[in-house]
Amino acid sequence: MDGETGKATASWESGLLAPVDRLRLDRADSPTPGLVEGTEPGAGQKSAIFYHAQSYEDLTAEAEKEAQRASEPHGSEGHDGEEFSTLVGKKSTEERLNSDTSSESRGKEEDVSSEAWRSHKKHVFVLSEAGKPIYTRYGTEEALSSTMGVMMALVSFVEAEKNIIRSIHADGCKVVFLTKSPLVLVGVSKTGQSEKELLRELQYIYYQIVSLLTLTQLNHIFQHKQNYDLRRLLAGSEYLTDNLLRRLERDPGLLLSAVTCLPLASSARDVVSSSLQAAKAKNLVFSILLAGDRLVTLVRKKDQFLHHIDLHLVFNLVGSSSSFREGEGWTPICLPKFNTAGFFHAHISYLEPASELCLILVSTDREDFFNMSECKQRFMERLSKRSAYQAMKEALKCPNYSVAQVGIPELRHFLYKSKSSGLYTSPEFPEVYQSDEEQERLMGLYQDLHSCLHHPTRPLRSFYRCSEAENLLAWVTSGFELYLCFSPMSTKALAVSAVNKLLKWIRKEEDRLFILSPLTY
Amino acid sequence: MSAMRVDAKVVMLGKESVGKTSLVERYVHHRFLVGPYQNTIGAAFVAKPIQVGEKVITLGIWDTAGSERYEAMSRIYYRGARAAVVCYDLTDSSSFQRAKFWVKELQNCEEHCKIYLCGTKSDMIEGDRSLRQIDYHDAQDFAEEIGAQYFETSSKTGKNVDELFQKVAEDYNSSAFQFMTEETGVDLGQKKDSYFYSCCHNN
Repeated sequence: MDGETGKATASWESGLLAPVDRLRLDRADSPTPGLVEGTEPGAGQKSAIFYHAQSYEDLTAEAEKEAQRASEPHGSEGHDGEEFSTLVGKKSTEERLNSDTSSESRGKEEDVSSEAWRSHKKHVFVLSEAGKPIYTRYGTEEALSSTMGVMMALVSFVEAEKNIIRSIHADGCKVVFLTKSPLVLVGVSKTGQSEKELLRELQYIYYQIVSLLTLTQLNHIFQHKQNYDLRRLLAGSEYLTDNLLRRLERDPGLLLSAVTCLPLASSARDVVSSSLQAAKAKNLVFSILLAGDRLVTLVRKKDQFLHHIDLHLVFNLVGSSSSFREGEGWTPICLPKFNTAGFFHAHISYLEPASELCLILVSTDREDFFNMSECKQRFMERLSKRSAYQAMKEALKCPNYSVAQVGIPELRHFLYKSKSSGLYTSPEFPEVYQSDEEQERLMGLYQDLHSCLHHPTRPLRSFYRCSEAENLLAWVTSGFELYLCFSPMSTKALAVSAVNKLLKWIRKEEDRLFILSPLTY
Repeated sequence: MSAMRVDAKVVMLGKESVGKTSLVERYVHHRFLVGPYQNTIGAAFVAKPIQVGEKVITLGIWDTAGSERYEAMSRIYYRGARAAVVCYDLTDSSSFQRAKFWVKELQNCEEHCKIYLCGTKSDMIEGDRSLRQIDYHDAQDFAEEIGAQYFETSSKTGKNVDELFQKVAEDYNSSAFQFMTEETGVDLGQKKDSYFYSCCHNN
């Protein structure tokens, strides 16, 4: 890795991109887009759709607090290290034992004692505090019950010393623990991801489970029966977790804690939004219109905000299942960032049978199905009379744009997130990143940069990195986060001037790429 | 503003993966989707008009998820239902036990709901008789005991699927008149939005 960090930061600040004044009037023709939150390209005009635009911190803050608590009262670094190394030793012997005994009880899908199973890049396990398996990404839970027992033993062993086990580092492998009573989540990764990133992913999995059951129900179950087999209640939902893990590897939105929009002329989007706004009902809290994985618009009850994690869970639910194509779906869903205690009820249906456009109406009342169904009817009637519907269908035909439109030859790909709106934009993958492996590799590079910019103790503001296949630049200000990928022939000077050009382009296109005027009921 | 007019609420009940969704899919869309099993999330609602004699009756079919996770929610789907299609998999005896659970539940909570017992995946036992785990006569006897109609269907071939729903609609039609006379009349003070709710409850 060829990184240049501290020095670059200084040059950024010393004038290449001077902060502009914050006046809204300058918005459209500002020569240098704002560096300040609320004035960056893509910032909403009234209020954000989501709460906590800086939610990456929001998401990890909890874990950090725990970590601090854990490290404060007890022991020196050396002691901890010693402890871990003994634990690691134990673990590997236990694992060996396990592989001997479990060879008879082979899983349907995959033999957990096989080399293939071991060589997966990232394993995720969920277990109850009684050590009962709840979920494994690969193989079957039954075959892993002793391994999960060992995991729980590790957690309890460290807890008994009034400490919290956070991670084990061994043999190119990171084992990360997240204790979220009554659940314990364990990630085992051979990717270069930081502990913090892995914890963040485990948090997502935790929220996924809560969204199906609510925390109240989870607590209730385990209070009554400590060794309850939670798989009974989660039966049939494993693929949601599988898909979420896949998304965590591939979807920049989950990395950036942001959502991307279907590029659409603002006039058309405004009509769609106001049609949704008009189709309101007493208990309706959120109306969300999706086109595949892209947000078309979101209308919310005044003073109620949707967290991007909750929205990604909704995306995952809709995107993972063909169930909603069958008719009008009606399902309880907990939005854990909104409230872990209770269920909302979501009316989920596609606008047309073969369409990508999916409408989600979230109500507080479980008896509200026919009211929601009527809201959809009203929305459809209003929309179909207007040309905006046609415009939206046209936009669906090319839901993405090519990086060539930006007009920077060396630029291959980028991610741009407006912090205040919580929205991001990114072009389609260019020719060189067409294969799945290449796309995942590029996402991996972005993840690396992301964890450098958000390092818990030494966060960077910018980072330029040259490698054999591409040059990368990452930059974070209080207004936006930007990740660029250049051809390996590009230079740092070129990269720096490209940033300016790109920001201007995004500013020019912002009303098409972002939702600038979100509505409320 | 056109609201969906539904005459009879029909609910599909049964253990997960017995093929409730496939049955509805075959009946409503005349197709059978092959591919990996996808469980229903929550419930799905479809309205399907059906010709009975001179009349057109719209069935509002609630296809519920079989997963235990949604069990607490199931009451809102079968409450006020005029017909319940209780499904089990002919090749899975545990699903028959589950069907008995649903029958009991309906008998306790919804006495006006007519029950249709439906053994699914009959094409599989036609291919290999040894796969059958619930004897035809046992199922038939159970159906008689609870006053239910019994069908063995295949969503793959379409066998008995239309017949099942046709029977549901006919039974509704012949009992509808009787029900109407029991009603007290129209409540003018009734709120507009609760109309949509009650229209699919028919009570």
